[in-house]
Amino acid sequence: MSVPNLPDELGDASRARLAALADVLIPGGSGLPSAGEADVAGPWIERVLGANPDLTGPVSHVLGIDGAPDEVLAKLRSQDREVFDGFAFAVGGAYFMNPAVRRALGYPGVAPRRMPAAEGEAEYYLDDDILGPVVERGSIYREVPA
Amino acid sequence: MGSRKDPADVLIVGGGTSAGVAAKHLAGAGFKVVCLEQGTWVDPGELPGNKPEYEVLGSKDWHPSPNVRGRREDYPVDTTDADLPVWMYNGVGGSSVLYGGIWARPLPADFRVRTLDGVADDWPIAYDELLPYYQAVEREMSVAGLAGNPAYPPGFEPPLPAAPIHRTGLLMAEGMNRLGWHWWPGTNAIPTESRGHEGKCVRYAICRMGCPEGAKSSTDVTHWRDAESLGAKVITRARVARVTLDERGRANGAVYLRDGREYFQAASMVLMAAGGIGTPRLLLMSASDRFPDGLANSSGLVGKRLMLHPYAVSVGVYDDDLENWLGPAGEHIGSMQFYETDTSRGFVRGAKWSLLPIAGPLEAAEKWTDRSSLSGEELWGEGSADRMKSFVRMLQWHVVPEDLPEETNFVALHPSLTDSDGLPAAKVRYRVSDNTNKIIDFHLARTLEAHEAAGAQKTWIAGRNFMTGHNTGTAKMGDDPATSVVDRFGRAHDVPNLYVIDASVFTTSTGVNPTATICALAKRTATYIASNARELEVAS
Ligand SMILES: Cc1cc2nc3c(=O)[nH]c(=O)nc-3n(C[C@H](O)[C@H](O)[C@H](O)COP(=O)(O)OP(=O)(O)OC[C@H]3O[C@@H](n4cnc5c(N)ncnc54)[C@H](O)[C@@H]3O)c2cc1C
Ligand code: SF4
Repeated sequence: MSVPNLPDELGDASRARLAALADVLIPGGSGLPSAGEADVAGPWIERVLGANPDLTGPVSHVLGIDGAPDEVLAKLRSQDREVFDGFAFAVGGAYFMNPAVRRALGYPGVAPRRMPAAEGEAEYYLDDDILGPVVERGSIYREVPA
Repeated sequence: MGSRKDPADVLIVGGGTSAGVAAKHLAGAGFKVVCLEQGTWVDPGELPGNKPEYEVLGSKDWHPSPNVRGRREDYPVDTTDADLPVWMYNGVGGSSVLYGGIWARPLPADFRVRTLDGVADDWPIAYDELLPYYQAVEREMSVAGLAGNPAYPPGFEPPLPAAPIHRTGLLMAEGMNRLGWHWWPGTNAIPTESRGHEGKCVRYAICRMGCPEGAKSSTDVTHWRDAESLGAKVITRARVARVTLDERGRANGAVYLRDGREYFQAASMVLMAAGGIGTPRLLLMSASDRFPDGLANSSGLVGKRLMLHPYAVSVGVYDDDLENWLGPAGEHIGSMQFYETDTSRGFVRGAKWSLLPIAGPLEAAEKWTDRSSLSGEELWGEGSADRMKSFVRMLQWHVVPEDLPEETNFVALHPSLTDSDGLPAAKVRYRVSDNTNKIIDFHLARTLEAHEAAGAQKTWIAGRNFMTGHNTGTAKMGDDPATSVVDRFGRAHDVPNLYVIDASVFTTSTGVNPTATICALAKRTATYIASNARELEVAS
């Protein structure tokens, strides 16, 4: 099954199914929400598919398979790794795009942001003569005959 | 057929990295330069790096594989017979638009592998001959780093101060010191101070998706704008179909396709700069009665000896948040500890290591999900939250192994597949050799020891046969026309006014990232042309 315009056509039932499947991959815990709690099947999957329409194929493929979510994914993983990987990438991409998840994982901002080096920062890390032993060992390249 | 009436003094085929260096130099020396580039200019506002979707965009529109991007200008590269995919970027600035900016000079021994190690071939030139050109392009590319690296002979003084090695580099440096191993703060073509057209790096760490800040030294930023103001003309969306010859067998221009129409650009001299895959493809496409096996291919080596640097990655998970998402990416530190040949290891040649940031959670996830990962556990499912929480506590070593040239690794014309203009696609055959695999095994094992010495809780090999975009060797430089395609200045042995200035000319791949050498060679050829203009052969 292939749904060409998945973001437009994801009805409530498919979203619930997507959340259930995604929860198998990302059940949450240790302070992180599950995929469903992070609304992976809501706006985030749409942003993922908008950014990479090629992922529509594997996502709709997985949504088209009936069965218990964990069994569906286990079978795909062993028998159709290409589709499994595409689906997992889309779900992971949607999950990690949620700013609450990003923050909980320790990434600053909703996307990489400007963080120019401070004055003296480069020198700070090289304090305590950390390069001393490297310099003391001397040159390590082979001399080449002229 | 449309025709550009004005013949160029110098026609450059491809508007990428090496082309930018040569175009600026030659336009500055008063030559009338025309460049034909199949892609377009990059609009920094369109680059993904500072958008929430950045990593997903990097899996499609900004993926380094032309097959994945699939834009009009991306000619397909069939890699079904290759151990790894092929990366490149097609547009003004070429692959430097997506490169990591790691700026690595090879070592003197790299130019003498036959003499020293009994393998492959010596280059016809020595490190010392390239030294002034390395120094010149390091200024042009705003290279930042720390002088005094004992892995190099004197004369390597990056013009800009090094970026901070950051917590990541510090932790690993302490581990390397415990082992007594070489490391050095990263050297990158990423300015630590604002310069010319370039902003100062603000450390997004997504350099390999293009720099939205215009900081990273890609030649669209560092060279092409200046080249245009010096009079060089860049015709974009112009896909070259073949290089043409006059009746004496001199290159006299090129036929190209633009929006479905065919044009001819006349020139006195032609410089090939379509990259390690694009240049042999075009030379083969330019076969004629005079050169039935492809232009400048009397040696039979056009397209052969492809080297790709199948790189490998190891990771360690550490106790603390290392802010490993902070740029540049670019390397934070590098190591040449095991670079030189030591035959007691059971192989010849070696590899450079680079400690790189991890740009975001999807890149971190790959350390588990890549099919060649030996993490020994699934990322997904029960316990995934804890694994994800370790993303910012990871360090990664990239290993760049030197693959030696073999004629069985090659680029050819595809028998049936075509690009969007109906021209034959590239077909690549590439197998990783035993020697290269031994290099990779040895180096990965040492990087795991380095992670352990730096205090990692868990370490693993996260992948091998990753692609680097280091596509070299397919128009070999050498003194003997029977065993090489171009001479020591990049001039085709068979066609005296045809030069190859891109990564194709590498005699051997060396064990370091190639752009420093690509730019130095392009600068050297451009300098040679400018200094000897009166004596050089031109088309009639
Ligand atoms: C993701 C990535 C990361 C990298 N990281 C590093 C790094 O950190 N350090 C490093 O040293 N190197 C790195 N590299 C490698 C480096 O970018 C390349 O080796 C280098 O840029 C190649 O330069 P070039 O001039 O040979 O070719 P390119 O810069 O690729 O230029 C070739 C140009 O020719 C054009 N062209 C091709 N065919 C035609 C045609 N028929 N008609 C018209 N135009 C044509 C293309 O569109 C392209 O613009 C990386 C590469 C990639 C892809
Ligand atoms: S880390 Fe620096 S060079 Fe890299 S993308 Fe960010 S600003 Fe540009």
